[in-house]
Amino acid sequence: MKSNQPLNSEKVFRPANLDELDALAAQTAEGVTYVAGATDLLVQEERWKSARILVDLTAVKALHATLEVRENGVLIGAAVPLSRLIRHPLIRERLPILVETCRQIGSVQIQNRASLGGNIANASPAGDTLPVLSVLEAELRIGPRQNGEFEKLSLDQVMLGPGQTSLNGNRYIAQIFIPFPPRDAFWYFRKVGQRQALAISKVSLAVLGKKKEEKIEEIRICPGSVTPQIVRAQKTESLLRGQPLTEERIEKARAAIECEVSPITDIRSTTEYRRRITGELLREALYLWLRN
Amino acid sequence: MDESKKPKAISRRKFIKGVGTGIVGTYVVPSALSAIGKEEKKGPKEDWIPISLTVNGKKVRVKVEPRMTLAELLREELELTGTKVVCNRGECGGCTVVLDGKAVYSCHILALDADGKEVLTVEGLMQGEALHPLQEAFWEKDGLQCGFCTPGQIMAAYALLKRRPRPSVEEIKEGMSGNLCRCAAYPKIIESVQAAAEKMAGRSS
Repeated sequence: MKSNQPLNSEKVFRPANLDELDALAAQTAEGVTYVAGATDLLVQEERWKSARILVDLTAVKALHATLEVRENGVLIGAAVPLSRLIRHPLIRERLPILVETCRQIGSVQIQNRASLGGNIANASPAGDTLPVLSVLEAELRIGPRQNGEFEKLSLDQVMLGPGQTSLNGNRYIAQIFIPFPPRDAFWYFRKVGQRQALAISKVSLAVLGKKKEEKIEEIRICPGSVTPQIVRAQKTESLLRGQPLTEERIEKARAAIECEVSPITDIRSTTEYRRRITGELLREALYLWLRN
Repeated sequence: MDESKKPKAISRRKFIKGVGTGIVGTYVVPSALSAIGKEEKKGPKEDWIPISLTVNGKKVRVKVEPRMTLAELLREELELTGTKVVCNRGECGGCTVVLDGKAVYSCHILALDADGKEVLTVEGLMQGEALHPLQEAFWEKDGLQCGFCTPGQIMAAYALLKRRPRPSVEEIKEGMSGNLCRCAAYPKIIESVQAAAEKMAGRSS
């Protein structure tokens, strides 16, 4: 065991509601480990064993049960299990790209426990929902509340790099607001892993786009697993925005995104493979859009 | 006397435990080592937290160590060893149990999180001495070779059939993709789930 501190110094809290959670956060300024489904945390033994103060979020309804459909989007509790999103009829209708990414995570057993908040807080560049939340321009609501309000941050303000977030001390992800894209928007999500179930992505790509009079009015592209921080491929996007979608333009975009990403070689894949496949995924996405 | 009507004098579990005590002398060293491992992992008992949950239809009140997983609670505290722990990191599905109607990896959940919830393990499927249709189907269709992944396979299938009583082969593959079988008995596992679905549909109508 790595930790030198005796285990009996650990504390576990299970707040029953948001007020209890915020009161607890006010008392414990540092070193809090928030736990939702624990599907990532329980695998990372060192992080898990060195956690001194655990706060189990699964009893807090505002985080675990919130699923409010509004006119312009949906507000999702950070600890809501992914399987609830997969089966929600309105989310299936308005956010098919989110449903697709959730379906490709782990397995049924993982989906029954894992949550969007956990995927963000774990801050893995291979987190499968992150590129999708990025293209959907999700808004994260961060607690504890100040004067009754959550702080609103974007994904790239929270996820800073591998395993790193701006959520220091006692801050937690409370809810995620996802605006609905237009009904006729084009969407694409593909994950490339060793096998279909229970695999961590080698490369993934999320694309959301809208055409107007044969020109690309809006395009958002976000690759996963190929950059330390989850960021949109803005150079490639600007190459496409306002332009008609042609085969020539698609080839240019493919070349551009291969230069824009900075993948590493690790246990799952190599720099060269990841770079090449990112380009191929974008090509596949844009050809699908061209032909539909 | 009909075999099935014989009174059950001793359960398989009790028998194995009894045999285990008999050979304890030869196993002193490894069991002492594992006891040390356990103590290191679990804090002092006074820090354990009381929870109450329903396990296989019975109300249970028990104290759990803060980091104890549901699988550890089931196997080590409640002695329900039908649930198997294989990878112990949420990848293989051997430890699958049904928590509030949903399949979950019990090695991957804190026992604390089961507070107030309902757990169903493979031990809870039998009605008296009668096998559950899923258990029958796995037996009849040879849905196993070594059988170690079977309790997890059966619990994953149970949750799938609850949600989708007549699944297609594709739906079975997707619904059970979180359960690995290293003997690769997959075709027979799929057949078993289909057969169980038919049995269950027949019985409920």
